[in-house]
Amino acid sequence: MIKTPQDLKTYKKNLKAALGNSFLGATLATFAGAYPASRAIAFAGIDFDALARKIAKARDESIPNLEVLLEEFTERAQEAGCKVHFARTAFEANSIIASIAKANGVKRIVKGKSMTAEETFLNTHLEREGYEVTETDLGEWIIQLRGEGPSHMVMPAIHLSRGEVADLFTGVTGKTQDPDDIGGMVKVARSELRRKFLEADMGISGANFAIAKTGTIALVTNEGNGRLVTTLPRVHVALIGVDKLVPDLKSALQILAALPRNATGQVISTYVTWITGSPECKSAPGPGKQTHLVFLDNGRLALAKDPLFSQALRCIRCGACANVCPIYKLVGGHNYGHVYIGAIGLVLTYFYHGRNNARTIVKNCLNCQACKSVCPAGIDLPRLIKEVHRTILNVEGKKPLKNLLLKKALVNRSLFHFLLRRASFVQKPVAEGPYLRHLPFLFSEEQRFRRLPAIAGEPLRDSWKRIYRRTENPRYRVALFGGCLIDFVYPEQGEALFSLCREHGVQLEYPMEQTCCGLPAQMMGEKETARDVAVQNIKAIDPSDYDFILTLCASCGSHLKENYEKLLSEEPVLAVKVSQLKHKVIDFSSFMMNVVKVRPGEFLKAGGKVAYHAPCHLCRGLGVTKEPRELLSTAGLEYVASKDEDVCCGFGGSFSVDFPEISAELLKRKLDNIEASGAETLVTDCPGCVLQLRGGMEKRGGKIKVKHIVEAVAEQKK
Amino acid sequence: MSQSENITRFKERARSVLTVVSEAKNMAAAFEYAAELTCKQGRQSIAAPGIAGEDLALLISICKEKNLVVFKDNLREKAERIGTGLTMADWGIAETATLVVDSSSEEIRIATMLSEVHVAVLPKSRIVPDAASIEEELTRMMKAAPGYLAFISGASRTADIERVLTIGVHGPQELHVVMLNEEKR
Repeated sequence: MIKTPQDLKTYKKNLKAALGNSFLGATLATFAGAYPASRAIAFAGIDFDALARKIAKARDESIPNLEVLLEEFTERAQEAGCKVHFARTAFEANSIIASIAKANGVKRIVKGKSMTAEETFLNTHLEREGYEVTETDLGEWIIQLRGEGPSHMVMPAIHLSRGEVADLFTGVTGKTQDPDDIGGMVKVARSELRRKFLEADMGISGANFAIAKTGTIALVTNEGNGRLVTTLPRVHVALIGVDKLVPDLKSALQILAALPRNATGQVISTYVTWITGSPECKSAPGPGKQTHLVFLDNGRLALAKDPLFSQALRCIRCGACANVCPIYKLVGGHNYGHVYIGAIGLVLTYFYHGRNNARTIVKNCLNCQACKSVCPAGIDLPRLIKEVHRTILNVEGKKPLKNLLLKKALVNRSLFHFLLRRASFVQKPVAEGPYLRHLPFLFSEEQRFRRLPAIAGEPLRDSWKRIYRRTENPRYRVALFGGCLIDFVYPEQGEALFSLCREHGVQLEYPMEQTCCGLPAQMMGEKETARDVAVQNIKAIDPSDYDFILTLCASCGSHLKENYEKLLSEEPVLAVKVSQLKHKVIDFSSFMMNVVKVRPGEFLKAGGKVAYHAPCHLCRGLGVTKEPRELLSTAGLEYVASKDEDVCCGFGGSFSVDFPEISAELLKRKLDNIEASGAETLVTDCPGCVLQLRGGMEKRGGKIKVKHIVEAVAEQKK
Repeated sequence: MSQSENITRFKERARSVLTVVSEAKNMAAAFEYAAELTCKQGRQSIAAPGIAGEDLALLISICKEKNLVVFKDNLREKAERIGTGLTMADWGIAETATLVVDSSSEEIRIATMLSEVHVAVLPKSRIVPDAASIEEELTRMMKAAPGYLAFISGASRTADIERVLTIGVHGPQELHVVMLNEEKR
């Protein structure tokens, strides 16, 4: 029985237990460590992004027409001898299947792996009706024997150790099983389940595709149990989400090109089975095999009409969004989904299993974009997760205090900046140099995994008046979008930028009416507030006045570039400005390398070994990967590679306050990797990452200096 | 891609999924291979439901010499005694080392699913670069309902216990592809 925490307290307890489970941590780390390389090999010679765009386009053409496709499918499949059923709800699907079993005098049922059957809790229903149901996929059989739900959509038993499986199989066979003989345990499953296959009256499968043109269903499997389930018993029932409908074989093959590669790093799964109609079955009495195809709606057809969430139906169930999720890697699927696991699980849980199950887990997202970057159907998963979060907050009307405060503060820039200045004053007794000596009472013990910076005595907007000089005949006119951290915590990073720009004939301006970019509001599900500050910023910085809008904060940059148009798409005049803004937003490294075109001659040599942390919103949000590393080399610094450079540092804005236990663990791993690289300095290009990494390094008493790339480059200037 | 490139590609890919590929100049040589393998591995029978006519006579005579039984039908009853499953393959897909086997006959399915080792004979002329290049043919096969079309790329495998790759969980524990130099009779 799946018990997904419905309140934060229980969830936190579970997370803590998972973080303390050393087997889970190690096995998921090994898996996640190996996955990117095997995935890359499987996709060798294939343009993944182009394939994902093609799949997204094809899915988007099918999704509004699912009912038409279903009609065509039904006609073909019935001609070919199947009976097609349509279930509006999970209960209806389970009841239809139970009644098919009853009508055919079925006693024993074998089942192939089906996430859709997990969704409807089909086994529970059938067992309650008195049928014996045996899962035949090895992983599914294991979790069925343990009475658990899957912890991964493709590898359901990934959370279990060989020892746990050996104990389980010892119980099943009555013979002691050797945990180190995995081959032997697989043989146990082979012989135990072979018997079940031969005795079964009915086989239940899912389907990866339902091809309308030919009335064909397809199953993608590795073990071969799906073939036995659909061959040996005299009755075959397939339970299929209506979203699995595709128009033709071509569409199915396109998805098949991505599915196994993205799921397990295989170019193809061992068996892909295409079944049309009711094929020959010699154990069936009378006219032959009974084949029943049960299509499940359960909200899908309505979801298909939702302007934003319809894209969730593009999902091909590859599980890659879990494979790359830094949080999944730490806590496993039982803490990262309900039935559906991973980023897509956080979204689908709300629609298929309700608000209570989604409420708490949906908060656990760093917005690091890792899932989005590997989704073969181009689903904007981080956005959908935030939208579910927002919807639940709004529906329940129980917003946390921090949401209300943030909203109040952000809508009025003068008030917001006044509060930040007051904070600088109020913190004086607890400040110790650039850090807070001890944390204010409202921070819990768990927040002490990093030192937090003090708010600067003089924000950038004040020091700007002092450092500002006009540049005669500037090469470029550039507006700096500071963001809260550069303005109020790390103004020296903005000052370093100003001096670099001056030397290259760049007129850098700091429009004073700018405010928070709004991402923190969006992260808390406060879309309206995010929209309000976006309007303020668009009014503060008229993109037409500048050649570029430069940011030192990757998070602000990607929010301005990607989210503003989503927030303001319905504002006719502003939408034009937003579009202009979008094309002018640039990060520091790209500006230096591609616009200013700095040369090695301007910089000192032998600046020491530097490791690089790629901020999520730079490498995935803005898609900038090569420029920062090139800039480091150009500036005379010796860039040394480190493990998992592009994995999130665990900051995630308010995420690190909400989930300090996860943030701390991600930070620890990051710093361990950096220390192993042999670097003297760690450079990154986002003040949020600087806050996290510098605070963590300080806390552990590490020797590596943490700098924003603008500081590292400015120091190397001749 | 030329046919020889397709064949080379198929062989390369096959290696990475542990499919054993060999070549035979004619059907007799392919049957010899299957019979030899069955004996070497200590099994007593070959299920060959898709082989008929002259070919079947040839197979039976080869097997007789080696004391092997040939099962041609009613495989469901013999399920627990099938050593080698011997079938033809309709197509070979080079990109993924995939065999396309029309498995509409239940006998073919049982031979390829419940045997210990599957040996498939694949005429070289039937090897194509990728699935897309036979999309029309495949669609035609699907339309000829009822039908059961199998893509087989290697032996049955799982990694469900601690992600350790283990071969032979439900289906055959080995897949052998015998590439046939001459057209199938």
